Amino acid sequence: MNGTEIKTLLLSGDSQFWDRLAEATREASGFEQLFLLSSLRKKAHARSLPRPGVVQDKIRLALLGGYSLYPLRELVEHICETEGFPCELWLGDFDNYIAEITDPGSGLYTFAPQVALLLPSEHRCRYPGKLTDPRALQQAEAGRVVDSILELVRTLHEKTRAEIIVTNFRLPARHDLGAYRSRTLGSDWSFRKWVNLELGLSAPPYLHICDLEFLAHRHGGLRAHDARGWFESKQPCSPELLVEVAREVAHLIGSLRRAPKKVLVLDLDNTLWGGVVADDGVEGIEIGDTSPRGEAFKAFQKYIVSLKDRGTLLAVCSKNDEAKAKEVFAKHPEMVLRLDDFVSFQANWEPKSENLRKMAGELNLGLDSLAFVDDNPAEIEIVRQFAPEVATILLGPDPSEYVTQLEDCRLFEPHAITSEDVERTANYHSESRRKALFASVTDMGAYLRSLEMEASIGEFAPMDVRRLAQLINKSNQFNLTTRRRTEADLLALMSDPDYIGFSARLKDRFGDHGLISIVIARKTGDTIGIDTWLMSCRVLKRQVEDEVLNELARLAKERGCVRITGVYLRTAKNEMVRDFYENMGFTLTAEDENSREFELALEKFETLPTRIKITRRAYEPN
Amino acid sequence: MNQTEVIAKLQMIFDDLFLEPVHLTPDISAKDVPEWDSLTHISLLLAVEKAFAIRFRVGEVENARNVGEFADLILKRLE
Repeated sequence: MNGTEIKTLLLSGDSQFWDRLAEATREASGFEQLFLLSSLRKKAHARSLPRPGVVQDKIRLALLGGYSLYPLRELVEHICETEGFPCELWLGDFDNYIAEITDPGSGLYTFAPQVALLLPSEHRCRYPGKLTDPRALQQAEAGRVVDSILELVRTLHEKTRAEIIVTNFRLPARHDLGAYRSRTLGSDWSFRKWVNLELGLSAPPYLHICDLEFLAHRHGGLRAHDARGWFESKQPCSPELLVEVAREVAHLIGSLRRAPKKVLVLDLDNTLWGGVVADDGVEGIEIGDTSPRGEAFKAFQKYIVSLKDRGTLLAVCSKNDEAKAKEVFAKHPEMVLRLDDFVSFQANWEPKSENLRKMAGELNLGLDSLAFVDDNPAEIEIVRQFAPEVATILLGPDPSEYVTQLEDCRLFEPHAITSEDVERTANYHSESRRKALFASVTDMGAYLRSLEMEASIGEFAPMDVRRLAQLINKSNQFNLTTRRRTEADLLALMSDPDYIGFSARLKDRFGDHGLISIVIARKTGDTIGIDTWLMSCRVLKRQVEDEVLNELARLAKERGCVRITGVYLRTAKNEMVRDFYENMGFTLTAEDENSREFELALEKFETLPTRIKITRRAYEPN
Repeated sequence: MNQTEVIAKLQMIFDDLFLEPVHLTPDISAKDVPEWDSLTHISLLLAVEKAFAIRFRVGEVENARNVGEFADLILKRLE
């Protein structure tokens, strides 16, 4: 990081300052470095240095806890802003969080946070009795500590509907108690471990743990503590760990609105195995337990399989002869990955950026759903330049570090693993069989009939919230308004009687597509206004949209409405649904550059005939 | 090292940290420098501890009323 260079950009009023600032913030390791950057940022604001790009609404973020929240606030504010989601902050007083949360008249509630960060006091996470007390007694006390935190979090969430981040507790790093520390739950060591586990395992969907135990462990226990910082200014931890906490908080806030990458795209030579198959031959490449390097590549493949098992799709993008490349997967006995692990296999001599575009098209995904891994800096560079939406990972020179590089890339972290994530690869494979069937049948009606589709439509249910939020936040193309919502938003909406919210699931003879379409609408007088209508592109041209409109019309009529209105809000990615409402029989009522409004009179609407059998309808007893 | 030498070394730290140049003298203090707020102060202390390879004891920094006294404290910790 070159602070002087950034300073010069600021003094000369160069708007490149912001990009360099963001870059330097990502690279900065130390507290002073980050602080310096933050003060440069504030000075740039004071000088009104223009910042290219869209001005976004600020996220209202409340910070409260048993510590001084200064300078943590500075770091969090700085990282969030440079990462592109600026926050407006509200700060609680030192160790006043219980009152702030329980008093309905507190400034916290006037502020109405969308996200709240709570740092409960470590000093209250301690067994007050004797080390020799019965375990049941100590366990009950740990449960009480967990419950008191969960109770505060629940109160705060119910009053504000905010997503809540809570830090858990560091473990001691000193020898105190010696080996006895793990023989009793009464030691801080055991007690906090227990509390941390219980807290994570009992966390409701709106609660996100900022894992201080993990962060301190990763950073080094001894360097996580700073007694002087506590006595002098009530700091929660050492300045260096505070940087890690701020980064983690920013990461958690970012991931509330950002989906993980869907596809891991892999190079082959010197990425999945050592050597170049075109030169060394299938027998000559390094893979397998016969050499340390071969073992490292094999471990990398095993890790990639574990990513696939938790729902990441795999693909290949390699400069290679396709037949030769595939032969390795088919014939080499030490390969862990096999051809059917991949949903796309691009081995040719075209530029990789082009292959990635082609791949995204085939999979009906945006380029920003892909992460690309290569050992060759030139290939990474071409992708960065010509397909900048793709996340890239440049593997280092040592294959024993490949696994750790992926483990630390933070691109594939599930918000929550749903069973549908795990079945995803199977789904894409049946999609290719479905396409093969489509190619062999020319009559569309006969094709759709042959799929034997069944759809089930259900009103929003708390059990589905996680999957609903996932789909709402990642769906870009078939999405009329692209309004994002958190799990907390959805829970709020379910309890509002004016809102209709339902989702559709589809299965056919090749497999279960799971939850593929979502509608949110609001009743105002005799009108139902569609707030959100989105669908997974995997089921395009399958008449799902027809059945969704049928359902919407049915629900509208049941509620005594005479019309449905809808709006198309243009984004960079949803051009495909620009004319959707017109195609569905709606009339255009207003239009400008970025939005188009439509209306459908229900007296003229006739139920659309489809080949889908509806097995369940929304808001109906089953 | 004497006070003047310590202040010369401090000057380099200040040059890194502050956007507007600050000319350090023994009499100058935080209230004379608009940029020297509590935020910059924390960074300053950490940078000083690193540059001089010292560690201040709990509570003692707040007793230094100006750069001269701060430099003397650094000298004391260097002993």
